[in-house]
Amino acid sequence: MAANFLMPTRDQKFILKEWLPLEQVLSYEAFSEAYSMDDVDMILEQAHKMCREIIAPTNEEGDKNPAHLVDGKVILPESFKEAYDFVQENGWGTSNLDTEGGALPELLLTAVNEFILGANPAFAPYVGATTGSAKLIQTFGNDWQKGLFLPKMMEGAWSGTMCLTEPNAGSDVGDITTKAFPTETPGVYKIKGTKCFITAGDHNLTENIIHLLLARIEGAAQGTKGISLFIVPKYRVDDNGNITGSNDVTCVGVEHKMGLKASATAMLSFGDNNDCLGYLVGDPPDENGKAQGMAQMFQMMNGARYETGLMALAVAAVAYHNAAQYARERIQGRPLTNPKSDRLQIIKHADVRRMLMNMKAHNEAVRAMIYKTGFMMDVQHHDPDEGKRKMAAAYVDVTTPLIKAYASDVVWPLTGEAIQVYGGYGFSEEYPVAQSARDCKIYSIWEGTNYIQALDLIGRKWTMKNGEVFKAWMKDLKQTIESFGDKPEFAKEYAILSEAYKAYRGIQQKTMEFYMQQKFDLLPLFATRILHCTAKLYCGTLIVDQAVLAAGKMSELGADHFDYAFYRGKVEAARYYVRNIVPEVMCTAGIIADADTSVLDAPEEAFNF
Amino acid sequence: MKILVCLKQTFDTEAKITLDSNGKIESKGVSMIMNPYDEFAVEEALRIKEKGEGEVTVISVGGQQTQDALRQALAMGADKAVLVDPGEIELDEFSTATVLAKTIGGMEYDIILGGFRAIDDGSAQVVGRVAELLNIPVVNVVTKLEIEGGKALATREVEGGSEVIEVALPAAFTAQKGLNEPRYPSMKGIMKAKKKPMDKKTLADVGLDENQIAAKVKALSFSLPEARQAGKVIPGEAAEAAKELARLLREEAKVI
Repeated sequence: MAANFLMPTRDQKFILKEWLPLEQVLSYEAFSEAYSMDDVDMILEQAHKMCREIIAPTNEEGDKNPAHLVDGKVILPESFKEAYDFVQENGWGTSNLDTEGGALPELLLTAVNEFILGANPAFAPYVGATTGSAKLIQTFGNDWQKGLFLPKMMEGAWSGTMCLTEPNAGSDVGDITTKAFPTETPGVYKIKGTKCFITAGDHNLTENIIHLLLARIEGAAQGTKGISLFIVPKYRVDDNGNITGSNDVTCVGVEHKMGLKASATAMLSFGDNNDCLGYLVGDPPDENGKAQGMAQMFQMMNGARYETGLMALAVAAVAYHNAAQYARERIQGRPLTNPKSDRLQIIKHADVRRMLMNMKAHNEAVRAMIYKTGFMMDVQHHDPDEGKRKMAAAYVDVTTPLIKAYASDVVWPLTGEAIQVYGGYGFSEEYPVAQSARDCKIYSIWEGTNYIQALDLIGRKWTMKNGEVFKAWMKDLKQTIESFGDKPEFAKEYAILSEAYKAYRGIQQKTMEFYMQQKFDLLPLFATRILHCTAKLYCGTLIVDQAVLAAGKMSELGADHFDYAFYRGKVEAARYYVRNIVPEVMCTAGIIADADTSVLDAPEEAFNF
Repeated sequence: MKILVCLKQTFDTEAKITLDSNGKIESKGVSMIMNPYDEFAVEEALRIKEKGEGEVTVISVGGQQTQDALRQALAMGADKAVLVDPGEIELDEFSTATVLAKTIGGMEYDIILGGFRAIDDGSAQVVGRVAELLNIPVVNVVTKLEIEGGKALATREVEGGSEVIEVALPAAFTAQKGLNEPRYPSMKGIMKAKKKPMDKKTLADVGLDENQIAAKVKALSFSLPEARQAGKVIPGEAAEAAKELARLLREEAKVI
């Protein structure tokens, strides 16, 4: 049974209308004509209604009827086509790239996408991949490419993918073997190669699929710097967008996966008959063989990493709300303190309540982290002040790996905990959360594994511009923590966060020492744990920032007010997160200071036993 | 073709209804929607307009929050909205219909549409009363509506079947489930909605005072349905249990 689409909108509304300055975003030139704060509720409610009534009903059908290959074409459940057309035609998908047509700011779009992802996590990638690839064409394509491909992708007639991975080059993208050979027409190349694990790589939702593909032009440099980006349509089209025939792209298989079963993960073969044309995006490699493809693809990659964090959050949120509803209804066990009394709803048992709080607190902390970056993306792209735009861009650079990896690492144990709340029924596919657990596991792997995110953080983000970027980000974090210093009701949280901040500085120092002492082996050992520490410190700070606001509302409204329980819940979730999760930063700091090398000291043969 | 749609904002169908300390229905913190039957009416108005030329105006009586329901209709495609805010007074069907009729009386119209009932109080009176006050015909519980040459062919539900009524315009029609499938507002629709006119009026603006619309019906009390009783499990072997079940159904429940 598919997870019921249970997702209240209250926390999203709190973030958009009370916590983050959405009003500032809506005042930017790109949005001021189109939207005002009065529209926020309607946008959220209508998006939510679409998710409940149109998208969520496709979830179970997709899980029971995986994407499958028939005569070289991937077949999806019929309902997916209807949902895809609806989302695209009604402006909730790719057309949000159309800045002149009233695109939503990223912050609002994040909420809309959280709902869509929660409603059917296997459906959403068809829209997401189309938007990501269209955005690449919009940013880097020439006028002919933009005029030909964008309108069709925005209206939903054509979809998109990104093709990076090959059977022998996943994380090692520099080792790809797909080749591009120049033709007589400048900018047009013959493509030859095989790509695998391509999300939405083939399907029957749209009349054409536009692949954004990485390949090496003959003679370009080895490694990542010689890679170029191409637009490779599944079917060839004329200048008016009419399909004229095959482009020698074939789907040779789809993966049988543990989750996201209706999201087609395809293996694609390009140019089997030496007749696959690709259109180069940007310029050909320079005289040193250096090409532009990786830098271009990173734009999409960063968007996809943000989106992956959001996917993890959406699945965790739906699993949590299902588990909470079940815990309110299920009656089992008597209170420990009074074994002779009536049996209780399991939500009244402390251990069940602990699991629910653990899910709630993590979700709210992760949501705070993701939406805050959504806001920063709007500042980055639309603020009139150049200094602010640059500051926001740097902020997004730092938080992207945290969002991708932390959200997708915690969603797995969180959905596991949702199963635990259901007891034996949770392990049964007759109940909703088993699917959530199966669906979410990929998020820690795709779009750059979480270890790659950790290396990105400590290898690149820590050291960008001689460390100035990260230093500024830490300073901002420190200021927020300091602002809790005069709030007596959060004295303990202030103390823990201050200590965690100090411990984190210690981790940075220790890591520098490893560098200096050339103990490079130790960095990969601790990278993932350092990323987690960064995220815990950051999430803890943001969730207390929210709690300060919520505590103010609590005393303003009083305990009888209908919204009191929401605000009280936010304050308790912040307390839980800071007192139960953030101290792990101190613990990890100790482990790293100890520089334990047992992992490396164990001979390879030890792993035979 | 000028089409007017009367609509009401009601509690969300999924809202939990509770009573406050005075025994009145608690409205705080409840999410509000457009009455689903009125959504059918808005959709029908838009379809009539889209077949030819026309203008759709949506009208409601209520406080500031009611704007949300009107804005939803604008986002679906209606052209204009009128909101009459009567202030903090109790309204019954007579009051609402009087306000609507007086407001509509000052406007041009060929067709008036509304849901046949609201899902909250379910009185199914307002559009009929409006038609009466305006002295135009009304056709209730319509499941199909065709407009041509100043006339309407309306199919309506009757006991055991349906009947088709021809009526000259102007006329009022109330929508029943099945009339159509209401559209969802698109992103662009929501964006355009804010630029469409929303005419906010007071009672005085439409030429009424509180005495003229004083409610004629007063609700004395509200009560919630009794909580559902827990089910009964009949233990034992299947055959024995079935016997016992039959006995209970006959003797206790008295249903067989």
